[in-house]
Amino acid sequence: MIITPQELHNWVSTGRSFVAADIRPEEQRYHFPISGLEAIIATAENLPARKKESLVLICQFGVLTEELIVEKNLENAYSLLGGVQSWEAFQTDNMDLSRWTRQTILPEIGMAGQRKLQDSKITIVGMGGLGCPAAQTLAASGVGNLQLIDGDAIELSNLHRQPLYNKNDIGRSKVTVACKRLKKLNEKLTVIAEERTLDESNGQELLKDADVIIDATDNIKTRQVIDHISKTARIPMVYGGLYRFEGQVAVLNHNGGPGYEHIFTPDAAGGDTCAEAGVLGMLPAIIGNIQALEAVKIIIGLKPNLSGKLLLYDGITHETNTINVGVNR
Amino acid sequence: MKIFVKCFSQVKYAVGTSELALDLNPGATTADLETMIREKSAGALDDVTLRTAVNKDYVSQPVPLEDGDEVAFIPPVQGG
Repeated sequence: MIITPQELHNWVSTGRSFVAADIRPEEQRYHFPISGLEAIIATAENLPARKKESLVLICQFGVLTEELIVEKNLENAYSLLGGVQSWEAFQTDNMDLSRWTRQTILPEIGMAGQRKLQDSKITIVGMGGLGCPAAQTLAASGVGNLQLIDGDAIELSNLHRQPLYNKNDIGRSKVTVACKRLKKLNEKLTVIAEERTLDESNGQELLKDADVIIDATDNIKTRQVIDHISKTARIPMVYGGLYRFEGQVAVLNHNGGPGYEHIFTPDAAGGDTCAEAGVLGMLPAIIGNIQALEAVKIIIGLKPNLSGKLLLYDGITHETNTINVGVNR
Repeated sequence: MKIFVKCFSQVKYAVGTSELALDLNPGATTADLETMIREKSAGALDDVTLRTAVNKDYVSQPVPLEDGDEVAFIPPVQGG
């Protein structure tokens, strides 16, 4: 069994009887002391004796203790989810981020990165094939604020590649339905639905507070409008596009990097929509998730990202090509 | 000289293959190659913007090609 920092805090506050055992090596205990909790120093081989009390096992990230409980088949024993890392973060700001422990144990993310995600606002323009998977994975990963912009209603032909929606949703607003489903993925998420199509008249207002914009639209004209606002407002934009079995991703206008206009010229033209050219459901899921990954990297400051590059993915061969678009010979 | 061409998205479908190996005369440029590709597409790329990369670096102006160069033609795509 596991116990979250919030639940353990409640045990302490209510005076529940339990035994806490810290099984970390001395060096970890020295560098990362536990606050607000009396814990017996123990080892995996020498756990404290107890009568009927619950046992709470504590390690640095909550991984070893989960394994220990299974391995020794311990009854009435709990592993502190996220370990001391999550417990101490909870002591600092009363925010329980332990559900993201599998992310926060990554040294590139840690609690600091998770807090940045929690504080961030990502705007997704287009809640279709790219927008749905991007929104799902961003919500689940702990992004605190999502803004969804789309004026379309759900159609039967959307369902094979837009897994936030089902047959009962046909005719309903995409962003309204998406909001409800996304909140079920992460109750800490604040999500705003903008049921309208982004254009030159409303784009500035809609995008002004975003930390990152995900371009999940289906036409060049709207991509150009987003690009212009992204560039002038200095808000990075993660472009994604599809053609049959192929996808494109780029990070645009990031720290002065190239934008859509640079990559495809101001008078860019061509390419059919998914409705015209067709698309297999998995392809937008792959590309939308790469967009979400790049957005998270921008928020956390994890480099390198796809700024100055255009990623080309082929779903038939699984070949990827990364073109340097920031270089003009 | 031998030039290797990579065709993406609409270009791939317009010319019928994702990769080509072409023999070009010395002095040929990326613009010459783009003309050849557009001719091969029989009009399917007439209204399509093509960007060109040589050995994975974008070129914004025509540049002379060298034996063994890999040239990619990349159109914008709309789908989302």
